[in-house]
Amino acid sequence: MAITSCLSEFSLPELFQFLDQGSKTGLLTLRFLTENQEKRVRHVLLHQGRIVAVTNRLDHQCLLAMIVQRGWISPEVLREQVNRCPANIPIGLYLKTQSFLQPEQLRLLFHAQVLRQVCGLFRLREARFKFDTKATLPTTEMTGLSLSATEATLMGLRVLRDWVLLANKLPEPTSALSRVVIGKRHLRLDSVEGQVWQRSNGSISLNTMATQLKQPIEIIQQTAFRLISVGLVQEVPMMTAASRSKAMAEDVLEPVAAGTNHGSKEENGSEVSPSFMQNLLGFLRSSK
Amino acid sequence: MEIMRLVVTGTVGAGKSTFIRSVSEIAVVDTDRISTDQTTEIKKKTTVAMDFGRLQFAPEMALHLYGTPGQARFDFMWDILIRKAHAYILLVDAHRPSDFRSARKLLAFMKQRVDIPMLIGLTHRDCEGAWSEENVAIALGFVDEKTRPPFVSLNANEKDSVIDTLIVLIEHYLNCVVKT
Repeated sequence: MAITSCLSEFSLPELFQFLDQGSKTGLLTLRFLTENQEKRVRHVLLHQGRIVAVTNRLDHQCLLAMIVQRGWISPEVLREQVNRCPANIPIGLYLKTQSFLQPEQLRLLFHAQVLRQVCGLFRLREARFKFDTKATLPTTEMTGLSLSATEATLMGLRVLRDWVLLANKLPEPTSALSRVVIGKRHLRLDSVEGQVWQRSNGSISLNTMATQLKQPIEIIQQTAFRLISVGLVQEVPMMTAASRSKAMAEDVLEPVAAGTNHGSKEENGSEVSPSFMQNLLGFLRSSK
Repeated sequence: MEIMRLVVTGTVGAGKSTFIRSVSEIAVVDTDRISTDQTTEIKKKTTVAMDFGRLQFAPEMALHLYGTPGQARFDFMWDILIRKAHAYILLVDAHRPSDFRSARKLLAFMKQRVDIPMLIGLTHRDCEGAWSEENVAIALGFVDEKTRPPFVSLNANEKDSVIDTLIVLIEHYLNCVVKT
């Protein structure tokens, strides 16, 4: 089933986190307008949560054109090699094994085709997106290299200057962070990220971190958002400092007591008896 | 009187109040209190809005349902509410992906305080653009299918649908009790 929405609803970091954690394979298409109101499209090809290519059209020729443009292989030879390349092998990998391309050339292609393009996507003010799991991924657009979607997020957000679009996604200054471990991750954190990570114990608010690290709260919020987006930590809201008495709060908790003659005697958090549960289950089943 | 307390929490507009109204045998109570909090004197009056419903099924047995306030304001009330709860339901609007992050925050808040049986209820699954159960689960961080809580798609307006959800939760509760 295809997923469609827009970035103002579900931001790119959220989307990439979803695609990575879900190990999704498919074609992500983003449609947007440039500042001059020109229509643009970007296609992000994902295999098991990793970005394998980014293109601006679906004629399966983008990577091949880049190779020819750089004068690394002639169009004729390339066409011949494309025909010989097995259908399930990325063309970049095939050309490397056939000694037409060196590993460094593949890295340069991947940098231009994926890394540079992906970072630009985080600057989009708005875009409609569609993720289609049924789309066929063209191997002629693949170098054989890949980047996890959340690593792309870390890169993209580190160089992002205008955070206005993500302002309502940032964790609250009053929230704390707690660590999350989903699979094994080996992300290299920068200095502030590392310091925020160390303080992610579920009890230190972002405000306190900002004071301790002598950083503006916005920087700490943005850093925290990066760590959240790559699945290293989660935001834990802290209670507001309302000084309502416990007795009053407990009074509010039992509004029914005023309307019935039953006195509630049970202890806080006490277990309910097995007979209670069986009775409740029977009652619910018979209520339908 | 033996009481089971069930907290119904969730994102704004996910159907918490409707859920409780659909099964409560009493008119759902909204609790408002005048604040004695000196720090909120400017406001003079603060609202501790919480839906309360009841299902009495035997002379000395009742299920109490508490709906948390819609806005994400985690105060002392919340703490008392969830620490006394036996189980909770997190309602998530499946066609509003913009709320998934709020749902994750709610989950983190609850998990930090209590380890009690819970269930994820997905509403608005019939709306255009609604996400599948599997995709919402991933978006909420439940990547491993084996360790996920039960996910139920429901219509909070329909009594039968709400009752079905409660049955799944109670069965899950019993399973959790057996395991411990």
